[in-house]
Amino acid sequence: MSYSTTDQAKHVSVFRTLPVHLAIFAGLILLWEIVNLYGFEDRIQADMIAPRPTHIVLAMIDIFFIDKTVWHHLGSTFQKALLGASIGTVIGMGLAISATLSETFRKYIKPWIILMEATPRIAVGPIFVALLGFGLWSAVALAALVAFFGPFVNTFQGLMEIDEESEEMFRSLGASKFQTFWKLRFASALQLISAGWKLATASAFGGALVAEFIQASEGMGVLIAQYVIMITMDYAFAALLSVTIFGYILFKIMEYMDYHLIFWQNDLLMLKVSEKRRKKMGVSS
Amino acid sequence: MKSLNLLISFAKYALSFVIAIGLWEAYARFGGLNELFLPRPSKIGAKLYNMFFETGMIYWHFYVTMAQMAIGFTYGIIIGNTLAVLAAFNESFRRYIAPYAVVFNVTPGIAVLPLIIAWFGFGWESKIALATLVCFFPPFINTLTGLLKKDDAAVELFQTLGASKYQFFWKQQLPNALPEIFAGLKLAITTALLGTIVAQFGSATEGVGILMQRFAFSLDMAGSFASLVTMALMGLMVFTIAEVMDRRIVFWRDAKGLERMSKKRSKKIA
Amino acid sequence: MTATAKKAENQSQFGQTVIEGSNVTKVFGETVTALEGADFNIRSGEFISLVGPSGCGKSTLLRLVAGLIEKTSGDLFVNNETVTKPRTDIGMMFQKAVLLDWRTAIENVLLPTEVKRRVKQEDKQKALASLELVGLKGFEFHFPRQLSGGMQQRVALARLIQTGADIMLMDEPFGALDEFTRERLNVELMRIVGELKATTLFVTHNIQEAIFLADRVMVMTPRPGRIAQIIDVDFERPRDISIQTSREFNVIVEQVRDTLGGH
Repeated sequence: MSYSTTDQAKHVSVFRTLPVHLAIFAGLILLWEIVNLYGFEDRIQADMIAPRPTHIVLAMIDIFFIDKTVWHHLGSTFQKALLGASIGTVIGMGLAISATLSETFRKYIKPWIILMEATPRIAVGPIFVALLGFGLWSAVALAALVAFFGPFVNTFQGLMEIDEESEEMFRSLGASKFQTFWKLRFASALQLISAGWKLATASAFGGALVAEFIQASEGMGVLIAQYVIMITMDYAFAALLSVTIFGYILFKIMEYMDYHLIFWQNDLLMLKVSEKRRKKMGVSS
Repeated sequence: MKSLNLLISFAKYALSFVIAIGLWEAYARFGGLNELFLPRPSKIGAKLYNMFFETGMIYWHFYVTMAQMAIGFTYGIIIGNTLAVLAAFNESFRRYIAPYAVVFNVTPGIAVLPLIIAWFGFGWESKIALATLVCFFPPFINTLTGLLKKDDAAVELFQTLGASKYQFFWKQQLPNALPEIFAGLKLAITTALLGTIVAQFGSATEGVGILMQRFAFSLDMAGSFASLVTMALMGLMVFTIAEVMDRRIVFWRDAKGLERMSKKRSKKIA
Repeated sequence: MTATAKKAENQSQFGQTVIEGSNVTKVFGETVTALEGADFNIRSGEFISLVGPSGCGKSTLLRLVAGLIEKTSGDLFVNNETVTKPRTDIGMMFQKAVLLDWRTAIENVLLPTEVKRRVKQEDKQKALASLELVGLKGFEFHFPRQLSGGMQQRVALARLIQTGADIMLMDEPFGALDEFTRERLNVELMRIVGELKATTLFVTHNIQEAIFLADRVMVMTPRPGRIAQIIDVDFERPRDISIQTSREFNVIVEQVRDTLGGH
């Protein structure tokens, strides 16, 4: 008897899964169209709750290629998220590095960190908007505030968690504190640090959107809100979909960076890097 | 002796707090801190005192926010865990739901807020809806991960004992997944609080979120910071409850928990 | 007493055949012959060691007897019944103790009973006795994470005893332990098995351990996995660690090594 839940997923080829995926997707879209056309008594209500996929597609074409409004707003949100993530990462990592190097700093910062962790940091949004205005900086500030925690926790954990034997080895070689820090701690922490960056981008994105919802002049948050207020829900969905696509692209970029940075996770990549380094050293194969 | 050490470390933390706040106050009074940006602690304290003990106006907002969070959290964990169980035991379901899970993962749930308000209105429903939306995902992922943990040796053991699939699930698989399940629950409750507050920014008549927004927009900084402190308090409460439950139920992770349970169990049989 | 007479006397102390395999073969997929043409006849009360390097099929043979995997061809009988699935008269121990972290030692020991029916007071008493038998009196309410590796294996053994199975299958149970603990547990294992009069199949890659514990040693070689030789071990019981340095013991060690040869 086998307890089949934990069996390895049988390797099914793409040729068999892709058609099913597409079929399911097509089925859902069809269902959605039908619900809109026949599920409601009132056309207005129908278009508000479940706008037709065909309309959504048309809306997307409009905002991307005809009207081209969306690019501007995507750019704005992206700018806010990127700035916020960068600032947040720098602050977070800076704090983490300081905490690693100085025990007193670590002790005194601890209660504040716990407080930060428990507080919904995104709640500071209205304060930032009230103080920094409707423009770029309130969103950047909120995004940074929300984004710094991931890199902080991850960088700190990564730097603190070193293998005792490795540290002893470095000491036996007479390495300075700085050398140990850079060549051992930082390098081995790279995986966690990279994960922290991923967290930062994701949270910064959300933070920027919240700031835009509270009050802003431009950005995807503003765009979605505008479309909703005008009750052109198909456009609102189109804007939402754009956010999803954008988020996915961001996600893939971060994954790509992570994959190439932490090259030793993957055998094929390791071989490539090995070759590159051999050439660099000028040793013939 | 141990409690004395605990007291000393607590005192050290308290001291760093007091110093920081003292410096802040000093800077405000003598250093020319622009109190439009950062009001002095004493003003924030006074406002808090007012809200909690003089007018008592905060309690209703506190209650509303907690209630909305709790309901959203409940829905979220029911949905998340149900999906996780389905995905854990049905490979096809897992495979075909994966792309949609990715879509959910990359979309900031917050982006849906305007639509949620349009659909559910300005009352409690929209807050609960957003909270549910943002908090169902962590339990889904975590419970799924926990249930999919492969322990071949345990499987063989249960096979040799002639156990049925159900027995294996209740006696091994589920308890074995508890650490992950609770990690998901902890994330869910903090996220649910976040979602509730953000939803209140969008549109509400009651709740700490809208309270804080009103203070901020009327430039009553002491009030908005006081609301922030209240939210921090809520966050701490929620976080602590979740931690305590985690420690009690997943007791086998640390030595103290093991000792405590060991004593309890020995009384039960003996 | 002559060697043959001694051998005859040794053989007679064992009862009827309990496990019988003829020409047992197991092929995984289409190419991997894990076990080929195994013939063996194990009597009640015997302690059989299966020794050999990785890939010799010893774990496969054990799992075939346990009913965890199905043979490809040949005949395999346990207590005169064909083996189709795991059964209650067979108990197993693994290289990892496989205890449930959230249960105390005694609750782990009671697991087999729980699986079959409701746990009664007498089961609890038996569990306490099993734990005492393996030398864990006073640790009944400890959790696995509070116990050392050796102690965890003892709990696993107590759990096996609890099943009341008279056929015990063990897959390198002491492989993960340090040598001192292993030696100690070997001596205790022999004592316990002797008291319970159980039939035991013990898999190991350690030649000393295999000979020390067994009445007969099945030496197995890999590629394809097969039983190369079955050697009788005639030392009297109870056995002491010191026999491992005796000449007779090392003769057998040599025999085993020769059989394993270039594998």
